Amino acid sequence: MANTLRLYLTCIRNTLEAAMCLQNFPCQEVERHNKPEVELKTSPELLLNPVLICRNEAEKCLIETSINSLRISLKVKQADELENILTKKFLRFLSMRAEAFQVLRRKPVQGYDISFLITNYHYEDMQKHKLIDFIVQFMEDIDKEISELKMSVNTRGRLVATEFLKQFI
Amino acid sequence: MAATEAFVEADNAEAIITRIEHKSRTIDSLLKHSKPVESLQVRIPFLCHIFSTIKRVLIVIVVHIALMAIKDVGGLLSSLDPEYYDILMKYLYRGLSTGDRLTCDQCLHIHEKLTERAGLGCILRSLADTVNTV
Repeated sequence: MANTLRLYLTCIRNTLEAAMCLQNFPCQEVERHNKPEVELKTSPELLLNPVLICRNEAEKCLIETSINSLRISLKVKQADELENILTKKFLRFLSMRAEAFQVLRRKPVQGYDISFLITNYHYEDMQKHKLIDFIVQFMEDIDKEISELKMSVNTRGRLVATEFLKQFI
Repeated sequence: MAATEAFVEADNAEAIITRIEHKSRTIDSLLKHSKPVESLQVRIPFLCHIFSTIKRVLIVIVVHIALMAIKDVGGLLSSLDPEYYDILMKYLYRGLSTGDRLTCDQCLHIHEKLTERAGLGCILRSLADTVNTV
């Protein structure tokens, strides 16, 4: 299991290292505009092949690249209904604070839990390997966070139920 | 074998069947109105497209079977000509997109070794080649 995760993260890291070659490219259609081409998708010649990397049926990562931007969408493993709810709540909490993260997209791409949008401006301001480390570390930590949240919910539920049922003893 | 069927996407297969039925009706109506030349003009490019789609799907299935049968990845890459690295990388990403656990495990394993051998340029060429896709 750990080996599969390592291979999955290595594959994503290598793909991001190869795909993250961004440069400034003003909009071809509108004067004096500069837009992330991966979001607009109006010019096919500016887009690279999107890559879908699946670890299994539940976990996958979609990497879409263009000349001046890169979008990474993640689908996190959700084993049961409780994890589904916790994941949705937690990632929505993060997405609403996207400005603080800078590279986070406010709304995830359809079919995914969370999305990152990296533009050429982020690429110029930040270090490439640090950006990739952040994405990979995020993927590792998100599973741990969800597990901790689930454990915390179960613990609180058990405590509450114990205290409540004590009155009937 | 069930995993290989995943490569034949249901949407594509249904779309192909629908197109075949529609084109058959078009060709039949042209022949009924005694227009054999026009029916050929419709039939030939359509058949070429269908055959190329079927050929592509068959190649993907055959490559998938070959990839799943690989036990010694290092030996495979040593004996493989470097000119085939890019093609193998494209098929690996195709396999990774299926979502089947066994296929993805195997493809991830080969991807790691192939990247060590061929470098990041191999990945970038497979991303950048929008003409010869698999």
